[in-house]
Amino acid sequence: MASDVVATPVDHVAAPVLRLEGVTKSFDIGKPNETEVLHGVDLVLKKGEFAALIGPSGSGKSTLLNIIGLLDRPTSGRLFIDGQDTASLDDAALTKLRGRTIGFIFQAHYLLSAFTALENVMMPIMLERGHPDEAMRETAKALLEKVGLTQWQNSLSSTMSGGQQQRVAIARALALQPSLILADEPTGNLDTQSTQSVFELMRQVSVTSGTSFLLVTHNLSLAKRCDRIIELLDGTVVTDQATPPAAGAHVPQTPAVVNE
Amino acid sequence: MNNLLPFEWIAAIRFLREGRLQSLFIISGVSIGVAVIVFMSALLTGLQANLFKRVLSSQPHITLERPKQVATPQRKVTPGQAVLSAVQKPAQRLSSVDQWQKIRDEMRNRTDILAVSPTVAGPAFVVRGDASQAISLTGIDAEQYIKIVPLPEKIVTGTFRMNNTDMLVGVQLADDLGVQLGDKLRVATAAGGNLTLTIVGIFDFGNRGANQRTVYVALSTAQNLLNLIGGVSSIDLTAVEPFQAEVVAQSIKASTGLNAVSWIASNNQLFVALNAQTLSSQVIRLFVALSVAAGIASVLVVSVVQKRKEIGILRAMGGSRGQILRVFLIQGAIVGLLGSLLGSMLATAMVSIWETVAKNPDGTPMFVIDVNVSLYLWAALVATITGLAAAATPAVRAARLDPVAAIRG
Repeated sequence: MASDVVATPVDHVAAPVLRLEGVTKSFDIGKPNETEVLHGVDLVLKKGEFAALIGPSGSGKSTLLNIIGLLDRPTSGRLFIDGQDTASLDDAALTKLRGRTIGFIFQAHYLLSAFTALENVMMPIMLERGHPDEAMRETAKALLEKVGLTQWQNSLSSTMSGGQQQRVAIARALALQPSLILADEPTGNLDTQSTQSVFELMRQVSVTSGTSFLLVTHNLSLAKRCDRIIELLDGTVVTDQATPPAAGAHVPQTPAVVNE
Repeated sequence: MNNLLPFEWIAAIRFLREGRLQSLFIISGVSIGVAVIVFMSALLTGLQANLFKRVLSSQPHITLERPKQVATPQRKVTPGQAVLSAVQKPAQRLSSVDQWQKIRDEMRNRTDILAVSPTVAGPAFVVRGDASQAISLTGIDAEQYIKIVPLPEKIVTGTFRMNNTDMLVGVQLADDLGVQLGDKLRVATAAGGNLTLTIVGIFDFGNRGANQRTVYVALSTAQNLLNLIGGVSSIDLTAVEPFQAEVVAQSIKASTGLNAVSWIASNNQLFVALNAQTLSSQVIRLFVALSVAAGIASVLVVSVVQKRKEIGILRAMGGSRGQILRVFLIQGAIVGLLGSLLGSMLATAMVSIWETVAKNPDGTPMFVIDVNVSLYLWAALVATITGLAAAATPAVRAARLDPVAAIRG
């Protein structure tokens, strides 16, 4: 269970969670309007790393995120998740690998509105096992507690605020203890205060569970508080560097939410 | 959330519950469709059963008669010879079925025959004073005959009794001749028979012709009157399966050489009419079912569009195409099943309203509509399958949704 994971410092020596080698992506292949959106992206993300992916609109961020999230396949190049080459996997195997190793946090309102907060958190486990059970209910409760929403567990997501929904989404992304969480502008729709608390929660989770994060954001001040900033421009990684320690190591000394 | 239900069922139920008004409308639509189908089926079955009951309760399923007498030319034609001849069909005299007791016993031993009754029937006159009326005289073995035609049920005045001097007449004949129960009538036949019999009962077959012409007497009385001592003109049979009567008749014809006429053959027009009725109702039911299916499909297509993002999220979280497919298929099945349950209730209400509205002048229901459990089960099964089939296209669309496009757009 996620709450059992011992808080470990970021281990840069461990095998990479994610490795991209010369990934390209073209759309409308073979048509006159064929366009290459990604031009040979190389990227390595280590276990527990908390990286920001920045770049203007149309730079290929979303395309890259979809490929990393196994929602889309690269046109060429190779993609390794937890050391596993994904090229040979068929759709069903990709779905399975995606469910097990990758968590998603989307920009807005991407909870299932017909389900309660608790049920939303249970969902990835339920999809994997086929039906609900008490163990996953307990796991989900622990995760909701971790994001500070225990008292909201039986609320329908539509009755919760944007910040609360995003916290549920974080808990949900953690449900299957993924090695990597992809967050696509998770704070894009939130006010400043909620942005702070959601970001700090993700930071916290990354540290306590050792989960790597790839955070797509337009918010530069947020990006600067990540371990590393990857900048994409016109389908190419133009800069990829660690943030200065002073700005980056902004892990709250007293966690916003106490982990048992 | 029930731990026993698989994810697909939970999601299907939640999605339907979430789209309240949409689900409500489509379930009502299915209910009305199912109600129309169930009601029409029940009405038609009741109508036809009633019609058959009326037809069958005044005639035997199968009648065995001796084969027609044919003229057999004496002169044989040898090859190469030509004979000019006019062969006249002989007039059919009233004559007995050969060895009818043996045939009766054979018939009793058949497992597809329920009742066997020898009868003597022939033309006669009833005479009262100056008035006379041509009748069809039927001599019956009372005990056996009531298994063929439930005569006691048809008696409106008097009793069902068949002694040698008793006779049963129809209401129309009694009216025409101005006779009542206990009156005596003289019965005369072309064969020279002449007897005075007492009216012990007056029956009503619900058919003017039958009420005017048919006169029942005891078997031996008819044998005397028609000069057919010891013989019977026909053997009446009741088949175990009325609708198999023609098949049974053919097999009896083959085994006995007798002329076997089933009620199906003698009421051919009725069957043609009933078949047309059944066919037209099937066409109506088919189209109702198709419109129900189209309704379910259209609602689910809209639902898939509305749930694009949620489908995308489910796929991103590791939901397989199969899981998404089943979520929507199950929604179709649930709509069909719920609709059929409500529709069956609605149909039951419609039937009971019909029964209070459609009444005979005497206050009895015009006919009994038999809504049996199997009809409900059929409706439920067919509606569920229709729901599944209707959901197939939207479900496949949902399963094929590209998660990237779904989440983006």
